[in-house]
Order: sequence, then structure tokens, then C-alpha cells
Amino acid sequence: MLRTFFRSSTPLTLRRISASPVAARSASTFIGRQSFTPMRFYSAGAAKLDKDEVTRRVIDVIKAFGKSNAAATITPTTLFNKDLGLDSLDTVELLVAVEEEFDIEIPDKIADELKSVAETVDYITSNADAN
Amino acid sequence: MLRRTVASGSSMMRMAKLPLSSRTALASATTLPRRHYSPAAAVKLTNDISLETHTDTQMASRDQAAARAEASAGSSAKAAAIIDEIDTSGRTALNAAYQENTGFGTRPIYMDMQATTPTDPRVLDTMLKFFTGLYGNPHSNTHSYGWETNKEVETARDHIAKLIGADSKEIVFTSGATESNNMVVKGVARFYKKTKKHIITTRTEHKCVLEAARAMINEGFEVTFLPVDEAGLVDLKELEAAIRPDTCLVSVMAVNNEIGVIQPLKEIGQICKKHKVYFHTDAAQAYGKIKLDVNEMNIDLLSISSHKIYGPKGIGALYVRRRPRVRLEPLFSGGGQERGLRSGTLAPPLVAGFGEAARLMHQEFESDQAHIKRLSDKLVKGLLANDHTNLNGSASHRYPGCINVSFAYVEGESLLMALRDIALSSGSACTSASLEPSYVLHALGRDDALAHSSIRFGIGRFTTEREVDYVIKAISERVEFLRSISPLWEMVQEGIDLDSIEWSGH
Amino acid sequence: MPATPSRLQVLSLYKQFIRNSNQFNNFNFREYFLRISREKFKENAPIQDKEKVAKLYEAAQRDLGVLKRQKLISQMYTFDKLVVESAKDQGDSRS
Repeated sequence: MLRTFFRSSTPLTLRRISASPVAARSASTFIGRQSFTPMRFYSAGAAKLDKDEVTRRVIDVIKAFGKSNAAATITPTTLFNKDLGLDSLDTVELLVAVEEEFDIEIPDKIADELKSVAETVDYITSNADAN
Repeated sequence: MLRRTVASGSSMMRMAKLPLSSRTALASATTLPRRHYSPAAAVKLTNDISLETHTDTQMASRDQAAARAEASAGSSAKAAAIIDEIDTSGRTALNAAYQENTGFGTRPIYMDMQATTPTDPRVLDTMLKFFTGLYGNPHSNTHSYGWETNKEVETARDHIAKLIGADSKEIVFTSGATESNNMVVKGVARFYKKTKKHIITTRTEHKCVLEAARAMINEGFEVTFLPVDEAGLVDLKELEAAIRPDTCLVSVMAVNNEIGVIQPLKEIGQICKKHKVYFHTDAAQAYGKIKLDVNEMNIDLLSISSHKIYGPKGIGALYVRRRPRVRLEPLFSGGGQERGLRSGTLAPPLVAGFGEAARLMHQEFESDQAHIKRLSDKLVKGLLANDHTNLNGSASHRYPGCINVSFAYVEGESLLMALRDIALSSGSACTSASLEPSYVLHALGRDDALAHSSIRFGIGRFTTEREVDYVIKAISERVEFLRSISPLWEMVQEGIDLDSIEWSGH
Repeated sequence: MPATPSRLQVLSLYKQFIRNSNQFNNFNFREYFLRISREKFKENAPIQDKEKVAKLYEAAQRDLGVLKRQKLISQMYTFDKLVVESAKDQGDSRS
């Protein structure tokens, strides 16, 4: 009985805490909180993400996205529109997936400028909030 | 202690039920031979008597359960243990099919869209404001609380009417399609009872139409229950031949709830118009899902249910033609709301939710249609890829969101038991509690065994491809499993003709 | 007469539709609103008529309001996951 209560309420709590980026960041400064949601904040901190690692994760996101037509051969130079056949709406959706992977929010104006894997990776590595 | 209370409660229920069922049985037994029937109707009626057994299926199944309990109590503990073992071993084998999917949820996939549909979040959004601020009585015309609610009610009525090409004044809100159907069958017949004494309907109608028609037999009416062909369609010539000078109503459902067959409404409408007989259609499963136009199809009365179109439960509507005016005697007496046809204060949250659901059915028609057709085709193809399976009902005249498939040599009930990860039904919700095979499939000429092994799949707006893939896989696996433990299947594999076997009674 | 939205505004609106749809806790509603959002935006993408675009944009903003409210309600009253849902893929927690 109690367990079902906890099960159903846990995702809600998680969601609340990470609902705004501000709350998520302040929560991660409390070491005690880390045990609360260990997987989310394991790499929290100022340390910049490794570029190769980011590239790999971005490529994974694209592969999982399932809409691209050349899933097997994605490289940093791959262009969303030309190589993957994504239109502007698809690209928006892909970038939402990227945002969720790295727990960031890409401003609309910048998102509209991101045309390739490399540009996306550059933006992420330059963003301190990414993790 | 608790058990005793429950037991006494159920016996009370049974006592209360008894007089009712015996009364109907008695009444029909005494009235049947006396009445005069046209030859065609008389032939049909002898077959129709089997329908009588459905009147109290709940009690029948309760009796059966009680008898079983008694029998098992009387037998030795050893026998019970064996049954138990067979039962559990079967179940473990079946459970193994989805044991490997750890890390997945436990809630079954919902595939029973004919019983009811999930409420669309957009519908709920429309309804919420009626619980937070818009609480006026729509019939109060002395203040703004009443006016604002009334305005919303009328908007909803417009949306509902628009979907069938009707005028909003022709829509009467009811509690659901069952009430609408009762209103028509009883109301029209009673209004014209001085001159008209005959009602025509079909054998595959929903229970509420059949039972309402049966109730009218007790009031001195004659009812012709038209047969259907093996595809589930009525024969138009037979329908026309059944119309008599004293026929007041023809009631034929639009889309069948068990097999999804679409009746030729336009043609039936023409015949009814020609003979000046009112045409009613129970469109609970059709409204918003197939194109309906009351003027083009000459429909005089049409029943609608809200919860079949992703709307709230507890509300429905009846379309009643104004020109030429269709008269019916109301079931309820009261304040004369809804053109005097259905007295009682409306439920604005339900009405508004229903209206929004209708608006969405209109707005999303093409999108829903394409999505459902695509998934339906996939499901049918996947299921029929199994041996000895067949689709019940017409393959061409059907609503794709309702699929009824027979799996020969598998018992439907055990298949349903084996499919606890998919919410399915072997027939309509009102009969699925009983072990009786579907009367609809019987009407199609299916034998008991095949009717027993039939399962109905419902696909809707919210069904996903992933779910359909899962269902195809799960059904195929479990049918194969159940057949592998079935002696009948073994015989079939050995080439023994099952019809040649003489079964000993037990 | 509502103002015609810019290209960026439309893309931003689409992003919000995707995000909010993604956050439904209910699997079927989540998948449906993702599907319908994609369908509708793709369907309307070629429309050039400024007045038409403005009207669609206005209507879509109302729909987005519904989506925002209903995704929250979906998160408030939750149920076990479906047998086809892996424990990981949920209405995403981030917004």
C-alpha cells in the first residue's frame, strides 16, 4: 500500500525538483541531496564535458530519434537537413531530444542556427549547465 | 462474517430478480401463440426464442458458479489439487511469455474501445470549468449564471448536430445510447399504438434494442427480428418484404458493436421513406467514426453515446427529426426540458464534454480515420497469419476500428485468461460476464465452438503502433500455446475430422 | 486581426507542443499528442496565406494552453506503466 504510494509519488517529486533549471542547479550544490537522485547529478559541477563524449551522445540521440535517413553514418560534419533529410520541424524535435539528454535549454534563436552535429556539440560543450 | 453478508446480499438480489425474469418468460409464453404473425415473421420467431435465455445472464452465471463451487466442495481434495496444478502450470507457462519483459510496466494494453474509450484530455479540459465556476443551472433564465451555462450547452448541441448534418434543435440529450434506444423503440411505438402495431429490427442489434422491442411485445406489439447473412448484413429485400401497413418503426444499427459491420443505411433509409415508416439507427459505435448524414440517409431517429467518442460517460443524445416531425411518447414525465421529450435538469459538464468530444471527432476525422485504418490493417494481417483464424463479419462493409477474429480450437475464455496483459473482450460488455457465446456471432451462423473462440479488438485514436505489435505477438504466442495443450488441436493435426467424433455426455 | 507570426515564432511554438506532449505521464496520450502535433504542423507548413497562418497560430496557442494544463493533470493522477512501456521511457521529467 505504502509502496505503491511511494512509487507513484517519486517521479512527481523528481519532476518538481528538476522542473526549473534553477532549482536543479541549487539542489546539486547540496552534497546531501546527491543520494536523493544520484544518476541525475553524478557529473554535476563546473567541469566541462569531454567533446568526444558529447559527440558520441549527440550521435546516439540522433540514432534513437529514428527519423533520420542515414542513421549508420553520422559524423560530426553531418548536416541535419542535407544529410539526414530533416526539415526545420524535425530539427526542432531533434534538438528537444538533445536538450533532454544534456538537461539544458537551447534558446530558440540559437537552436535555429544549429545545422550540423559539430555545431550542436560546440554549443553543448560551451554550455556550463550541460551534464 | 463478511462472506455471510455478501452471500445474503446476493440471494436478496436474486429474489428481487426472480419475479421479473419469470414474469417476462411467462408473459411471452402466453402471448406468443395467440398473436398473429406474417409467415416470415413466424418462422423467425421460433428461432428467436433462444434470445430469451439472455434476459438474465447474470443470474445464470451466478448459478453456474454456485453449482461449480458445490461440485468442487463435494469432490475429493486430490481432484481439486490436480485441477489446481493444471491451472497453475498453465498459468506459469503463460506468464513465462512476459516474464522476460522485466523493466516494463504491468498495466494491460487497452483494446476494448467498443466497451468504452478513454476520455480525451481536451474533453476533460472543457469540462473542468463547470466544476470550478460555471455551475449555473442551464434552465435558469433569470440570471447570468443560468445564461452562461445555457450558452455552453447550446454550443455543445451545435457541435453534436453538425456531425450528422442535423439542426441543433433536433438533438435531445439523454443519459446514453441505451436510454435513447429505449426512448425510440418504446416512445414511437406507444405514440402510434392506435394505428400501428409492428416493429422491425435485426437479430444483431444491441441488447437494449432487442430487450426494448421484447418489452413492446408485452404491450401488444409484434416484432420482426430480421436475420442477417453470414457477413452480418441485413437483406434489403427481406427488410422491404417485412414492412406492413401497420409497421411504425424500423430499427437497424449503424455499426455493430461486436463485429464492426456497417449496415447499408442509405438503402434502408430509402426503403423506409418509400413505405413511410420511421427509420431509427443505433449509431453508438458509428457516430463520428463513419460519415453519417441524417438527410442523405433518410434517418428519422439516431442514438448517440458520448463515451464511445472519447467523451464523458453518463451522457448521450437522440436525434429526432423535425421535418417531417417524428412524434414519440416521452419515457419521463416532468418539467418538459428537451422539447418535452426528456424532462430533467441537464448535466452541463457532461453536455459540454460530449460537445467537445463531438467537435474533436469532426476536427480529427481524417487523422483518426487514417491512423485507425493503418493499425487495423496491420492487426488483421498479423492475426490472420496464424493458422485456423478468420475474421468475423463482412470484410468490406466494416468500421476498421472493430475487429472480431475467431481462433479455432482455442477456447475464448481461456485465451482471455491467458491474455491478462491485454484488455479485451469476447463480445459486448454486458454479456462478457457470462459464459454464453455471442448471440451476434450465432446470428451470423457461427457454431458455438467458434463463437466461443472469438475475440473482439478495438482500435481507437489513442491506440499506438507499439501496442498493436505487442498484441499481434502476444496473441500468436498464446494461441499456439493453448493449442499445444489442447487435445482437439492434436486431433486436428492428426487429420481427424472433429465432426465424426461422438461426444459422450458428462 | 491577429498578427502574423514569424518563422522563429512558429518553430518555438512547435517546440512547446513537442515538449508538453512529451511530458504526459499517460503513454497513450503522450504518443497521441506527439503524433498529432507533428501531423498538424507538417500539414500546415506549406500554407503561405498570412491571414490563415495568423489564425492557425492563434488557435494553436489556445491548444497549447490545453496541453500545458492537461499534461500537469496527467502527472497528478498517475497509474502503473503499460506492458509495452519500459520503466525508463516516461513522460519526461525535465521541462
